Amino acid sequence: MPSSGALLAKYTPAAVTHGTPLAVLGVDGVVVLEGEAHVPARLEHLSARGKWVRDVQVPEGTREAVAHLAQRYSIVWASEWGPNAHLALAGVLGLPATPWPYLPVQFDKLAAIRQYAGGRPWVWIDDPVVDLHPLPDDPGGVVVRVDPSKGLVGLDLSEIDEAVLRTAARRAPSHGASTIRKSS
Amino acid sequence: MSDATTTPAAEAVPDTGTAYGLALGGPLNELAQVGPGTPYGEVMRRYWHPISKAEKVTTTPRRVKVLGEELVLFRTGRGEPALLHPRCIHRGASLYYGGVEEDGIRCCYHGWVFDPKGHCLEQPCEPDLGQHRDKVRQPWYPVQERYGLVWAYMGPPDKKPVLPRYDVFENIPEGLHLIVNDAGVGGGGPEVLDFNWLQHWENVMDPFHVPILHARFSGEQFTPEMAVIPEVTFEYTPVGVRSTQIRKLDGKRALRRRTEVMFPNLRVVPSPRLTPGQTNLIGWVVPEDDTTFRIFTLAVHEDLDFLSKLRSTFGGKPWAELSEEEHRRMPGDYEAQKSQGPISLHSEDHLTTTDQGVAMLRRMMAKQIRAVAAGKDPVGVIRDPADEVVTITGGNFFLTHEEALAEGLVDA
Repeated sequence: MPSSGALLAKYTPAAVTHGTPLAVLGVDGVVVLEGEAHVPARLEHLSARGKWVRDVQVPEGTREAVAHLAQRYSIVWASEWGPNAHLALAGVLGLPATPWPYLPVQFDKLAAIRQYAGGRPWVWIDDPVVDLHPLPDDPGGVVVRVDPSKGLVGLDLSEIDEAVLRTAARRAPSHGASTIRKSS
Repeated sequence: MSDATTTPAAEAVPDTGTAYGLALGGPLNELAQVGPGTPYGEVMRRYWHPISKAEKVTTTPRRVKVLGEELVLFRTGRGEPALLHPRCIHRGASLYYGGVEEDGIRCCYHGWVFDPKGHCLEQPCEPDLGQHRDKVRQPWYPVQERYGLVWAYMGPPDKKPVLPRYDVFENIPEGLHLIVNDAGVGGGGPEVLDFNWLQHWENVMDPFHVPILHARFSGEQFTPEMAVIPEVTFEYTPVGVRSTQIRKLDGKRALRRRTEVMFPNLRVVPSPRLTPGQTNLIGWVVPEDDTTFRIFTLAVHEDLDFLSKLRSTFGGKPWAELSEEEHRRMPGDYEAQKSQGPISLHSEDHLTTTDQGVAMLRRMMAKQIRAVAAGKDPVGVIRDPADEVVTITGGNFFLTHEEALAEGLVDA
């Protein structure tokens, strides 16, 4: 297992809003689906400046769900899509022109997230397949795992908001409370 | 006297990013390792693997190493291939020193004889040639012969799938030959490649390296068309990941080139010398262990030397004849992939635009690890003999100007 310092030595994005809780989002299984979708979804043709294209399913309501999160959190992409997450999804999800920061990690992302978050509260929403190793009992924030056939829209976002608030309250000033949740 | 490195501004803000104190990450061992009990090793053990050219399996026992396991491969006097654990269950002498007989192999130490399924046929020093010989079994693996290769299944006996057939090798037209090669075609280096197999396999989903490594950097190693940077579509298939590369050619024509990876280790890379149509060759990337692998390749062609001629040349010279300086100056796949390390430090990778296919493959591998751990079949495992023929979609498809225009690939 690499050290967290090593993980971030290669690229450290600038934080956009100090103090605001973070919502760290995976891409595959979260905002785009692979395989059979168990929620209504549209096939979208995504491109990374014409270098490549992918046809992916985006569940209906994802745009609104991301907007909900963006109102409450500073969004950070954490995925193998790297800078292309924002670029490729901007039109489909109605994202701002200034890209959100990204963490270029595909698996076992916790160390990178914790290092990036510093002392800020955070929620990390992702597909369980990214966890090659079990998460610790105390991840240091709220970990939410989606059903990759539903993605973000399969979650109750208000529950997540409450969990982040509870965790932030318990952590102040030095508590280590945390939560791991799974989508039903 | 001053220079740029000692200006006051530079002193005020020291440059960063130096290698001082560098702490490197590590490999994705869950994906890269293949030994018994490793996550992807268990995925591998749900499929059949080619382990030797059939013609090399004779009545002389051979040591082979597959998925980190040392084994002995031979053919009985009756012609049946056999793959046994080498350590004789009697007292541990290696069956590599055994003598092959009509029905099996006789251990050199006390003469116990084992058939291809590990049954003990004889214990010559025991009363009645072993009154209890049917109580023991030499560990063995099922093998089959097809397409001039010997295939082994090294997984749980109750999970043994059907050995697939491939449409490109069925019903070979008269005048064409099935060509079998175990010399590392596609690896760009020696017969046994001495680094982790995944570095080679995931390279199949990296079409962007072709115009750089194989053209711009080392001179044209394939054809002028392959030097064109393509526009690529990546997609998951039911059995792997596929990239479709569009290259715009002179005369407003286009080349649609499809490459595939199929689980657990197939490389569907159509001829880089652009033989047109559905691919006529497929390769299997078979790890000997975590840091060595072989590539078994099948092809259909009229020229029996087709695969040998396919190998890239460097300034007109084959790889094996290059000097160290020529290797350095004209690197190919072998130099690029071996230099990633015995097992690449995947956590150090900066996956970006051109790595989408690699990332998709790694993700699909992680999914298969989960499926196997949950007791499910990974993708591409065939249970019903009626489904045994696998369709290959890879190939080089040239489009005329009219065809390319109709598909919106070129301008009028």
